[in-house]
Amino acid sequence: MEANETTQRNTLVVRKPCFGLPTGCPQCLSAYIYLKLSQCSFHLDYHLNYPDSDQIPYFEAGDSVIYNNEKEGIIECLKKDAGDLDVGLSSLSEWIPNKVMLTTWLADALEYELWVGSDPSSASSIYYSDLSWPLGKVLFWKKANWVKLKHEISKDNAEVKEEEIYGRANSAYDALSTLLGEDNYLFENRPSSLDAIFLAHALVVLQAFPESSILRTNFSKHANLVRYVQQRKEELIEAVGTSPSNDPYFGAGASSSTSGGPSTSSSKFKRKPKKEQQTKEEKKYKRRAKYFVVAQVVAVVLFLSIMSGISDDGEIELDDGDLEYGYDD
Amino acid sequence: MDTTEKSSPSKPNNNDNEEQEEEEEDEEYEEIDEEEEELNQQIPQSTESKLRNQRFKVQTLSRRLSSELVPIRVHDVIINGNTKTKDWIIEAELDGIEKATTMQELMQACQIAIAKLQGLEIFDSCKVKLEAGPIELPDTANVIIDVVETENKLSGAFGVYTKPSTNTWTSEGTVKYKNVFGYGDLWDASLAYGGNQATEVSLGVYAPRVKGFLTPLLARIFMSSQDWQDFSSYKEKLMGMSLDLISTKHQDLVYTLGWRTLTDPSQMASRSTRRQLGHGLLSSLKYTFKFDRRDSPFRPTKGYAFVSTTRLGGLTPDNRSLRFLRQEFDVRLAVPFGFYNTALNLGISAGVVFPWGKGFRTKPSPLPERFNLGGEFSPVCTLGGPTTLWGFKTRGVGPTEPRRQRRDEENDGTHDFIGGDLSVTAFADLSFDLPIRWLRDQGIHAHIFAGSGNVAKLTQDEYKHFSPRKFLDSFRLSAGCGIVIPTRLFRLEANYVHLLRRDEHDRGKTGFRFSFSAPF
Repeated sequence: MEANETTQRNTLVVRKPCFGLPTGCPQCLSAYIYLKLSQCSFHLDYHLNYPDSDQIPYFEAGDSVIYNNEKEGIIECLKKDAGDLDVGLSSLSEWIPNKVMLTTWLADALEYELWVGSDPSSASSIYYSDLSWPLGKVLFWKKANWVKLKHEISKDNAEVKEEEIYGRANSAYDALSTLLGEDNYLFENRPSSLDAIFLAHALVVLQAFPESSILRTNFSKHANLVRYVQQRKEELIEAVGTSPSNDPYFGAGASSSTSGGPSTSSSKFKRKPKKEQQTKEEKKYKRRAKYFVVAQVVAVVLFLSIMSGISDDGEIELDDGDLEYGYDD
Repeated sequence: MDTTEKSSPSKPNNNDNEEQEEEEEDEEYEEIDEEEEELNQQIPQSTESKLRNQRFKVQTLSRRLSSELVPIRVHDVIINGNTKTKDWIIEAELDGIEKATTMQELMQACQIAIAKLQGLEIFDSCKVKLEAGPIELPDTANVIIDVVETENKLSGAFGVYTKPSTNTWTSEGTVKYKNVFGYGDLWDASLAYGGNQATEVSLGVYAPRVKGFLTPLLARIFMSSQDWQDFSSYKEKLMGMSLDLISTKHQDLVYTLGWRTLTDPSQMASRSTRRQLGHGLLSSLKYTFKFDRRDSPFRPTKGYAFVSTTRLGGLTPDNRSLRFLRQEFDVRLAVPFGFYNTALNLGISAGVVFPWGKGFRTKPSPLPERFNLGGEFSPVCTLGGPTTLWGFKTRGVGPTEPRRQRRDEENDGTHDFIGGDLSVTAFADLSFDLPIRWLRDQGIHAHIFAGSGNVAKLTQDEYKHFSPRKFLDSFRLSAGCGIVIPTRLFRLEANYVHLLRRDEHDRGKTGFRFSFSAPF
């Protein structure tokens, strides 16, 4: 039925837009940037209520779908659909070490910063803000525990581990800074999948984390990296206006998204106003939740008092409580 | 002198018991008579004359009770035997006793009280004795309640059932623990397992009285999982709690708070299903009004029935929970023809589900709340909404969408049944006895039937394209005949079904079918 409408439509389904980015999730953002770099036309849609899914982002082309958790990840699969940007680059000697560095050290550092190291509001905004409060809290806690378990972090070794994770990230920034120099892209001055992965990482670090974030502070020390991210961001995200055509039909799936679509307002790496907005929203929800609890308590009390009033009057209808079977004899 | 009005039915030797009861009742009348006439001074007599005298008094009293109202007032109610059960739990069931003003009323109130006390399931036996009140207060009686608390607090049950919406048999085991805190509380833990398709674990508590509360308290926490991968490419997990707010013969109000997760482990879901995967908070209130005046749920031959179910989801302050409104109606009519026990059963069911809240026109309705038709279940037995249609398999009718197509594989053309927002079904079933006496005695009869139904999508702006004519034109139609074997627990149908109209993607075919149904 709906299939006819979707045939031949390319849609990238990502997590919600926030912090002035088309999507706040690093994996989703890297897929988005990859498609932008390969100049593939696509629609953007949002999947908001599934923060713990490794299927997101996914790319729909008609009835076929590429999930992020299949084979080597969505970018490897997108190479077939959107064109392989890495032709001639992946054979370079420095390609593999850099790829490993990006997908392990930097990815781990970002994960740690999101769920353990930094203020939890960044991860909440990106992943859990469209889920009801208790669900979001439980899923956040589960993921945070999972990250700690993955890095074998305990109370005793927390500081050592943190130092190790940030230390590796810092080394990676240094190496990438050297690799980039004054070029426009990481390899041979032309876009590659590693640019997409690194840009997604950098944009989240610079825009989603507060200024006090260690990762953000470390990254900001590398002027050439900041310049590179700024330039690419202007080209890929801001130059296209609100960028991807957000089809209202698909927008329906986004339902209650609070931000609606990608914002283009903040070109500088500032997130304060955004954060304030987020905290205001959270406060609003918390206040509403309190009202809800109070209303429930009042309702229960009312119900109890009314019912006790009735029972005191002794107006029990035997008809309702007896053992008679409801069929005529 | 104590007299027993009625003893527990669980006591053995029923025949003896009845006689005993009669005698006891007689004695009781005698006792009251004595009390009324203030014949407290006994003159030594022979046993025979004593018995004669008593018989005379009993006869006088029974004449008096049948001809006029005998005034009496309850002076005191004494409860014995409850070592653990709180007094007020028992007192709450003795409501009418203290208010009785005549002997007749008092006897009736006692009978009701015994039935209620036994209904609590926490006593092995309950006895009520009536004693004369203090001598200085004529026309008064003391009511003495003797209860024996059940020794075996633990009990278990096991059963097998099938539901119209599923296609598997589910076995369920329940363990009950009675009266833990002395409030008449019944605790139960149950585990239902239906192969790979459905599993449910739940813990429940039932308290017949919560102080100052009219209706019993029934609360459950549960964790269930339902696999719809074969039909709709998703698995549903739900955990949470439910609370019965009102539970009477005709009305039922239940609040459910749960965490629902839809997953697609096969990663083959169609677009609609795929977009609904994930988490959702379910906070809903379900109100059921049921009125059943049919003579039997298995083979109705006269009467009518009506069921309306309303479910409102999204009762939380923020807009991020699952917001929907689901309404179902079901009307049944059984018309007797007067020969060969022939009866015509007619039924119409309809249901609609819609999301609400900001932007509801473009939002989809929650996948598990949508309507799906089909299943090996007799429509005659399913009272509650549009669910089944003769000849079609479980989730075999309704809007479909192609499943995900794998790049490296050929498209196998499989579809997901994604359910609809509007569903209507109707059926007519003519049942009659067979001309063989043995079959008639066993209740085995034949029937000719025809059923029709359709499901349509209305949400996500589809209602704009909805045309009643198109909807009627695409009604699925099936007809057939068969033999029905009704048992005490279920109804077995052996039918030949012919599909008169079906859609391209529908799952169902003409042929012989068996169906097991239990009134639901």
